[in-house]
Amino acid sequence: MSYLEANLKTVPTGLRKVLYLNWPVIILLTAVACTGFLMLYSVAGGNLQTWAEPQMKRFGLGMVAMLVVAFVPIWFWRNVSALVYVVALLLLVAVELFGDIGMGAQRWLEIGPFRLQPSELMKVALVMMLAAYYDWLDVSRTSRPLWVAIPVALILLPTALVLKQPDLGTSIMLILGGGIVMFVAGVSLWYFATVLAAGAGLIFSVLQSRGTPWQLLHDYQFRRIDTFLDPGSDPLGAGYNIMQAQIALGSGGWAGRGFMQGTQSRLNFLPEKHTDFIFTTLAEEFGFVGAFSLLMLYALILAFCILSALSNRDRYSAIVTLGIGGTLFVFVTVNMAMVMGLIPVVGAPLPLVSYGGTAMMILLMAFGVVQSAHVHRPR
Amino acid sequence: MIRTPLRPLARILDARAKGENPDAIERENIRLRGEATRDRARARAEGRLLVMAALFLAGFVTVGTRMGMLAAVEPQEPQLASSGEAILAQRADILDRNGRVLATNLVTHALYAQPMMMVDPVGTADKLAGIFPDLDRDRLVRDFTGGRKFLWIKKKISPEQMQAVHDIGDPGLLFGPREMRLYPNGALAAHIMGGASFGREGVDSAEVIGVAGVEKAFDGWLRDPANAGAPLRLSIDLTVQAAMEEVLYGGMKLMDAKGATGILMEVATGEIVAMASLPDFDPNNRPAPLTKGDASDSPLFNRAVQGVYELGSTFKIFAVAQALEMGLVNPQTMIETKTPMYFGKHRIKDYRNYGPQLTVTDVIAKSSNVGTARIATMIGGEAQQDFLRRMGFFESTKVELAEAPTGRPLLPPRWGELVTLTVSYGHGMSASPLHLAAGYAMLANGGRRVTPTLIHGAAPTPGEQIIRPEVARQAVDMMRKVVTEGTASFGEVAGYQVAGKTGTAEKPKPGGGYWDERNINTFASVFPASDPKYVLIVSMDEAVDTSGSEPRRTAGWTAVPIAAEVVRRTAPLLGLRPVPEPADPEAITLVRN
Repeated sequence: MSYLEANLKTVPTGLRKVLYLNWPVIILLTAVACTGFLMLYSVAGGNLQTWAEPQMKRFGLGMVAMLVVAFVPIWFWRNVSALVYVVALLLLVAVELFGDIGMGAQRWLEIGPFRLQPSELMKVALVMMLAAYYDWLDVSRTSRPLWVAIPVALILLPTALVLKQPDLGTSIMLILGGGIVMFVAGVSLWYFATVLAAGAGLIFSVLQSRGTPWQLLHDYQFRRIDTFLDPGSDPLGAGYNIMQAQIALGSGGWAGRGFMQGTQSRLNFLPEKHTDFIFTTLAEEFGFVGAFSLLMLYALILAFCILSALSNRDRYSAIVTLGIGGTLFVFVTVNMAMVMGLIPVVGAPLPLVSYGGTAMMILLMAFGVVQSAHVHRPR
Repeated sequence: MIRTPLRPLARILDARAKGENPDAIERENIRLRGEATRDRARARAEGRLLVMAALFLAGFVTVGTRMGMLAAVEPQEPQLASSGEAILAQRADILDRNGRVLATNLVTHALYAQPMMMVDPVGTADKLAGIFPDLDRDRLVRDFTGGRKFLWIKKKISPEQMQAVHDIGDPGLLFGPREMRLYPNGALAAHIMGGASFGREGVDSAEVIGVAGVEKAFDGWLRDPANAGAPLRLSIDLTVQAAMEEVLYGGMKLMDAKGATGILMEVATGEIVAMASLPDFDPNNRPAPLTKGDASDSPLFNRAVQGVYELGSTFKIFAVAQALEMGLVNPQTMIETKTPMYFGKHRIKDYRNYGPQLTVTDVIAKSSNVGTARIATMIGGEAQQDFLRRMGFFESTKVELAEAPTGRPLLPPRWGELVTLTVSYGHGMSASPLHLAAGYAMLANGGRRVTPTLIHGAAPTPGEQIIRPEVARQAVDMMRKVVTEGTASFGEVAGYQVAGKTGTAEKPKPGGGYWDERNINTFASVFPASDPKYVLIVSMDEAVDTSGSEPRRTAGWTAVPIAAEVVRRTAPLLGLRPVPEPADPEAITLVRN
C-alpha cells in the first residue's frame, strides 16, 4: 500500500486527464520536432519525401503513443519498470546475436516490419528501472554499499552490451543517465567522487595503453581523441567532421544565411548531415539566434520537468521525471558540444531533430511516462 | 541520540484510561516517523535536484557560450597543417631552347581508402568500379571488407574523377595530394624526356623520380632544392622536333618501315636540336618494358642513341677524309675500282660495275666499296682505328640521357686487315646514329671533334682538331657531289645545298650472315654545304619504296627523300634562308651580245 494509492480519489480520471497534462512540455516537444522537420527538409535540398515526411509521420505516431502512455496511471509504469528493463536487456542480447550491421556496428534488430534499436529503448528503460528501484528501496539504505552495488550492476550490464556493438556514444549516455538517477536518489557523494577519480584513472590508462599490445580502444577512437585535441592536424581526414561543422557554425554568424541557404551542408561537405550533425545545418541557416533558441527550447523542457518533479511527492514519479528530462538534456548537450568541438566525436543524435525512427518514438513514449507522472501526481 | 519510544507508557496509560486502543498510538507514531524519514529524503532529493539543475545550467551556459564564440568568428577554410608547398613544384621544369615547356608538374591527387571508416563498402566498391573501369569491383569489395586498414586505389586521378569520387561521399575514401610529372606535348620528344614515376610514397606527398631519358640523367639536379626551381633548358627546339617527327612518321608509314630515327645537330656546338626515334610512346603514360622478344623492338628503345647498327657506306667519307688528311690522295686521284675485289677468300663487290677506275670524288659519289677498300689499304689498320677512336666511335656517346651508356659501339674482337677493309665501307663494326652525327659534324665544322649534348648554351670546350679545315672542306664538297650527281639525288633541296652520304646496310641475321631484303638505310647529311651549320642523320629500318615497278630498298630511295623533306620543313624553322648556290665559275660561258 503506497502513499500514492491511498490518495487515489484526488487523481483525475477519464478524459479529464487531458486537462491535467503537462501542456508546456508537449508544446515545447512539438516546437523542437518542427524545427527538426524544417532542418530535414532543408538538408534534403528542399525535398519533403527524403527525410522530413517520414519523420513527421513518426512524430504523429509518437505523440499518440505518448498520450496513450500518459493516460495509463504512473503506478502501472512503476510496476512494469523492471519488466521493461529485462525486455530491453534481452533485446540487446538479441541484437548481439541476430542484429543487422549498419555503419560498422551492430545496432538494429528487425522485428517484422520494424527496425528497432534496443540501445535507444535501454536509455529509457534504465531510468525507469532505477527509479523503481529507489522507490522500492528504504531511503535509509540508499548509501549502503550493497544497495549501491545493485544499481551499478543494473547500469553496467546494458552498458557493456552496448559497448560491444560497438557504440561508445550510447554507452556514455547510459552511464550518465544512470548516474543522474542515482545522484538525484540521494546516493552518498563519496561514491560519485570515487567514480570520478576512477574515471580519471581509466582515461589516463587508456591514453597510456596506446600503441601497446593491451590497447584499450580502437585506433579510430584514439584518432578521434587526437582530432578532438587538434582538429586542424588532419582537416581532410579524421578532423573533417569537426572542421566542417565549425565552419558551418561560423559561416552562420549571428543571424544565419537564411532558410535553405546553408552551403556547407547543402554542398555535401558534411557527413551525417541529417543525423548526428544536423545541428550544424541549423546553426548555419539560422545562425546563433536559431541555434541558441533550440538550446533554450530543450532547456525549457528540462526546466518544466524539474518543476514537475519538485511538485511531485511520489518518489518514483519525481525520479523518473527528472531522469528522463535530464537524460534528454544530456543528449542535447553532448550532441551540441560534439558538433562544436567541445568534446570528442561520439555517435550521439540530437533528440527529436535528428532523423531516426526508434529514437523519436521511444523518446516520446518516455515523455508519456513523464506526463503520466504529472497527471497522476498525489494532490 | 534520544530515541522516542513507539509506545510511550504515559500515553498508553492515558489511552487505556479513556478506553481507546493503545495500538493506534503505535501505528500513529510509526506513520509519523515514516513521514519524517520521507521528508528528510525529499529535502535531500530537492537539494540534489538543485545541484543537478546547477550542473545542467553549467552545461547550458557552456554550450551557449561556445555557440556565441563560433558565431562570432570569421569562418576560415581549413589549411593543411603541413603546408603543401613542401611537395609542390619541387621538381624543376624542363624547357626547350626557346623556353617552351617540355616537362612540368601538375598537382593531382592519389586516391586511397581506409575501409574501416567506410559507411557502405560494397556500394562504394560498385561506384568506384563505375568511375574507374579498370578497377576490379570484386577485388575492391574483398579489400574493403577484409579488415584491411589502408590501401591505395589509384596513384593519379583527374579532377573530374576526384569530383566523382567525392560525390560517392564515403568517409573511407581519402585523397592524398600528389605532384605529378606532366609532359604537355605528349609523345613529342618522348625518348629525350624519358619519363618519371613515383618513388617513396606517403599519404601527404610522394617523391617524383626520373626513370629514363633526361629525367633520369638529371634526376638529382631536377630535384635539388638548391636550384630554386630554375628550369633545365635543353638544346631541343620543339618546333623542329615536331616537324621532324611528323616527316619521319609519314615516311615510315609510306615506306612500310619498322622504325625510323632522325638526329638534327648543330655542327659547331654539338647541341642536338631535334632527335627522334620511332615508334615512340607517351611519357605521361610510359608503357611497361617488353618482357619477351627483342628489346630493340620496344617503343621505349631509343634507336638514335641505343641502337647500334652497321652504318654502311656512310662510313666511306671517313676513310676518304683520313686519306686526304694523311696526304695519300687528293680529290682527283684515280682509284682502281675493278669489281669484284678479292681479299683472300673474301670477295668485295660494288652495287654495280663503275669501270676500272674512279676519282676519289667519284668513289664517294658512286659509293664504291672497292674504291674505299683500296683507300683503306693505303691508310692501314692502326691509323684507321686511331682516327675512328679520336672521333668517338670506340665508346658510347656522352649525351645526357640515362640510356646513353647502353649505346656502346660493337667492335670486331680482332682488327685484322680484312676488318680494316670492311669497316672503311661501314661493315664489321656497329655504332649508333648519334655517333655518326658526331662524326659528320666534325667534317662539317672544319675538323674539330664534337661531343653531342642536349643542354643549351653550355659553353663548349673546343674539340680536338682531327682534320685540317681544308680537308674538311674537300670532304663536304665531295658529299655535295653525292647529292648533285651521285646516289642521293633525291636529297637536293633548292637553296639549302644539302651534302651527304647514303648508306645501305643489310641487317645481320641472329644466327650469323645477313638478310637479303632487310636493310638499315641511312642518309647522313650536312647543310648548307657552302657553310655547314647542321648535320642531319635519317635512318630507316626495313624501309621499302614501292613506287617503281619493283621494290627498292636502298637509302637513295628511302632515307634520302625523307631527309630532304626534313630539311625542307626544318631549315626555315632553324632560321636558314634559301640561297642560290654560287655557280661553278668554269660553267659560266661568256656570250657576246
